[in-house]
Formats: sequence, structure tokens, C-alpha cells
Amino acid sequence: MNEGAPAGAELLEVRGLSKFFGDVAAVERVSLDLARAETLGVVGESGSGKTTLARCILRAIDPDAGSVRFNSANGWTSLHSLKEKELVPLRREMQMIFQDPFSSLNPRMTVQQILEEPLLIHGERKRGKRVAAVREMLSRVQLGADALTRYPHAFSGGQRQRIGIARALMLRPSLVVCDESVSALDVSVQAQIINLLEDLQAELGLTYLFVAHDLAVVRHICDRVLVMHRGRVVETGTVEDVFERPRQDYTRLLLSAIPSPDPDVPLKPLDRATLNL
Amino acid sequence: MSDATAAPPPARGEALLATVTPRQLAWRRFKRHRLALVSAVVLGVLYLLALFCELVAPYSPQTRNVAAINAPPMGIRFFHTDGFHLRPFVYGYDMRVNPDTWMREYTPNVGKRYPLRFFASGDEHTLWNLLPSTRHLFVAEGGYIHLFGTDQLGRDVFSRILYGARVSLSIGVAGVVLTFVLGILFGGVAGYLGGITDRAVQWFIAVLLALPTLPLWMALSAALPVSWSPLAVYFGVTVILSLLGWPYLARQVRGRFLALRQEDFVIAGRLLGAGRMRVILRHMLPNFMSHTITAATLAVPFMILGETALSFLGIGLRPPVVSWGVLMQQAQNWQVIVMTPWLLLPGLFVIIAVTAFNLLGDGLRDAADPYNTGGLE
Repeated sequence: MNEGAPAGAELLEVRGLSKFFGDVAAVERVSLDLARAETLGVVGESGSGKTTLARCILRAIDPDAGSVRFNSANGWTSLHSLKEKELVPLRREMQMIFQDPFSSLNPRMTVQQILEEPLLIHGERKRGKRVAAVREMLSRVQLGADALTRYPHAFSGGQRQRIGIARALMLRPSLVVCDESVSALDVSVQAQIINLLEDLQAELGLTYLFVAHDLAVVRHICDRVLVMHRGRVVETGTVEDVFERPRQDYTRLLLSAIPSPDPDVPLKPLDRATLNL
Repeated sequence: MSDATAAPPPARGEALLATVTPRQLAWRRFKRHRLALVSAVVLGVLYLLALFCELVAPYSPQTRNVAAINAPPMGIRFFHTDGFHLRPFVYGYDMRVNPDTWMREYTPNVGKRYPLRFFASGDEHTLWNLLPSTRHLFVAEGGYIHLFGTDQLGRDVFSRILYGARVSLSIGVAGVVLTFVLGILFGGVAGYLGGITDRAVQWFIAVLLALPTLPLWMALSAALPVSWSPLAVYFGVTVILSLLGWPYLARQVRGRFLALRQEDFVIAGRLLGAGRMRVILRHMLPNFMSHTITAATLAVPFMILGETALSFLGIGLRPPVVSWGVLMQQAQNWQVIVMTPWLLLPGLFVIIAVTAFNLLGDGLRDAADPYNTGGLE
């Protein structure tokens, strides 16, 4: 999809994005840039506005203020001002991988139906082509073709998440928003899914906006990190900078909460004073 | 949780789950609900009886037997004075007017033995107003048979209950179909569009639900012209019952719509670029139909009870139409309860039908719940 575009070219530009639920600002004046083929992590505690930010960018919910500009095949487009119908062609280029592998798949559709739906929506009328595309994608996410006729309830959490990934990639998007996509999985399965996401990024040149609260995962997979607290961006920078040389107290607090893999290292209590900052 | 890439050999339970559809899973869950299964069978039998009431009933609902007025139920017997008979039979009655109380007293007479003939000729009838015939499932050769006794005009209570079942059971279903349409329409519009529309519908529903049901039913039913044909009254009563019944269903549909709209797979559909119709038809409807069907099943008894109540009070269906409620009008005074308690039998049928619908609804609700794995996982 994105051949010809030079690596490092800008893909997404968010400026002053805000979303209010009643009087509460879930996301407040957030700005960020995303280059092609990079992975930007968005971290923060529960309720910090990470998911709202992700959904506002993809227009799953409508932001109240600010701009979202996307560098599509046809040049720069402002996502925030488009009508739902005008967004449809752009949906090919940006997709989402959800957190919960159980609620993100329609329980009444077979895997075949789930995976070919994006093609149907975007006008692929030839059944043969759809089936071939579905099979190809299934093998990319390392599921067997025997999965096609089954319903989601027949799969484990990890397998379902693979199906969710396959659905998101069916249209060959350039931007993929991963909304806590591994946090609902067992640790061993998490590792497999993370490896799969990395492999797919290398193969397909994907750009990830990786929303997570698990800092160890973010450190592993991301190039740059954006730290959010109460709807605002607290700190942003490369993974090394933020994790090794955090500039903000809140970031330091967040980092201190990462449990060490060594079971002999005692857990330190969190600093309450900074917690209430 | 095994998630190895080289498709591991599935465990036993997994192999079982792998090939079944959600519908099959629901059926398995339903089968575990014994009472619901029994209720389904009971209702099936009741509806079959209602459908073929002309054939099953030995008499037409208006046929009078002047030899047996207010006669008690007869038992089907196999043992006569000379021993066992394979062909069942009934004993006819001897009637005597008690000189003190002026009541008719019936005693079975062993001398009047009426054997049952199956698929034999009896009263003329026209099945479904289409097929004229004189065949009945059973008739008593050379006499009469009143399994549930007779009323004060000598009409067979068993036959009248069967004919009444046709009206009472069908009004429940017809009413629910109409309720269903109104409920899904209003609930769906409110749930999907939200905002002002939602608030308007909610407000309207709140007002409707605040109205006292019984007086309103009575007022509306009393407003049906007396000159209307029985059929028109039947539809009138159906419409009245549905008009007051849809708010409950609409609320449920709205709730399901609101909940489903937030489901990840619905959002996923929207993010794939699916239009409004596709989202509703492919993602939302299939996922709440089972709940709605359950709600509808649970609504049928209200319709049946509503019809019965209105007819019992004399403002719903009126004789010569036969419904369970109309039949129970005869049981309105204490004399009946003391002297001819078999005239209360239609009430027993109402109880059976309503209970069966409620139990069936319970079973369907459990079966429709995807989180109830029924011990299969």
C-alpha cells in the first residue's frame, strides 16, 4: 500500500485534540506526530485517556476540538472534519486491533465471514478473490485454514486475537491502532502476539500506535513513547530517553511501578506524594 | 491455553466445540432445561389441539345435550361388569331431580355402556372453514360423552375448551406479533438514533406505563362497537392488548441496542467502513434476536391473561364466540364453584398455558445467554 513513500515520511499529525465527557476532559490538547513504519507507544494509568485518544484518532468517537491529519495515498486529509460516509475510503488505510479478543469478534459470524467482511464493504465482488485473500491472511497470522468455518467461541484468547489482527490487516492499512491489544492475554500468549505484530510490521511496513499500560511491553516494541496523565501529554520522546532519563516526576513514578522480573528484588512502595501530583 | 502455531491436536472438549454453530450451542443449553422442554411439548400439544379442534372435539361448541344439563365429568373406563375391554367406554347418566333442593343429580348407569369409536362420524363441522366433514377423533357410539361435563345449557365443556383454546391461544400470538413490530420499531429507533428521538420515545413510554392498565383496557374495550362482528372484535381486542404491551418490549430492545452499539465488534464493523444498515442487519440484529424472542415468549402469557380478564368481565369477546375468558364468565358466581366446579376447568387451561409459556421463556432466556456455557466448556 505504501510503496514509494519514503521511510520516515509523516503519516499522522494530531494537533490539540480534546474530548470531553460532560465536564471531564478525557483527552486535553494532545498533539503527536507519527512517521511511517514506526511504533509510537501511548502509556499511562487507567483513565489517563489513552483509549479515548486512540478512538478519537480513528473517529470511533468524535473529538470535540483539535485536528487529525492523515497522509493517505491521495495526500493529506483532515480526518476530524469528514462525515462518516466520506471516511469510508480512508478506512482502508487505518484499522484497529482491540483489547478484548472475546468481545471484538461477532459471535454470530464464522471466521470466513469476519475476515471477508472488510473486502465486501470495500467492493470486492469476486468470491474467489475474497477466499484467496482470507486464506493468505490466515496463514500470515499463523492460523490453519480449518479455522474458516468455525465461530469465534471455538478459539482460545490468543487465537481470537490473531483473528482480530487478521481482520484489521485484510484491507492492507498503513496505520494500525493497537488498543491494549495484548493486555487481556496470558503472558506466554502475549509474547507470541507481540512477535507476530513485529513480524507483520516488518513484512507489511505497518505503522503502529500502540496503546498500553504494560511498560515492559512498550519498551520492547516501541520506538517512541508518549506518557499521558489525566488526559494530557506529560512527556514524549524515544524509548531510551523516556525509560532511561525520564524528565518528569510522573514518568519516574510510572517507571518505578514496573515489577522486576527478578523475584528476589523487593517491591518498593510508590511515592504517595508524587502519586497525587 | 495452548496457542502453538502448528495447530495442536485439540483437546476433547475443544473438538466438540469447534464444529458447532452458536445455534447448536443454544439448543444444547436449552435441552438441559427439563421444565422448559416439557413446557414446549405441552404448548405444542395445546396448539395442535387448538389447530385441529373441530376434529378433536366430539361436539360443536353450540351442540346441546338436553339429557345432560350441568352433568359432571365422565370417566373413560376399561372394566365393565364382565371384565376388561380393550375398547374404552363410558357409562351414561341417570338423572334425578332432588325433590328437596330441585338440583339435578346424575349417577352413572352401568346398563348404559357407550363404547368409544375413533375417527367415526358425529356432528357436522368445517375444518378451518374449508373442509366439511363429520369425522371426529372419538365419539361415543349410541350415546354421549362429556369428558369435562356439561354447562347449564347442556353443552360439552371439553369441546368448548378446545374451541376456546383456538381463540385464546391465537390471540396471544397475534398480539405478541403486533407488540413485537411496535416494540422493535420504537425501541430500535430510540436505541440507534439516541438523543432527542430517544428521549421522546422514552417519555412516551413512561407516560404509557404510568396509565393504570386495567381501567384503560376496560375503557378501550368498552369503546368497541357492539355491532362489530366477532372477528372484528377479536382484532380489536388484539390491537388493544398490543397497544398497551409494546412499551416493555421497546424498552428491552432499546437497552440491547444501546449495549450492542458499545460492543467492540460493532465498533470494529464501523471502523471497517460498514454502513448503518450493514451494522444493524449483520452485527446487531443477529445478536439480539434471541433475547427479543425470549422477551416475546414471556409476553404471550400477558396477552392470554389480558384476553381472559377482559372476556371474563364481559367487555372483551362476547358469546357466541368461545374463548377461555368467555367460558369463565359462567363461573362468576359461587353456586358454580359449589355445584358445578367443572365449569372452572377453562381456568385450569389458562394456568397451564401461562405457566408453560413462562417456563419456556425462562429456558429460552438461559439458552440465549452466550455466557451460560451449560457445562460445555
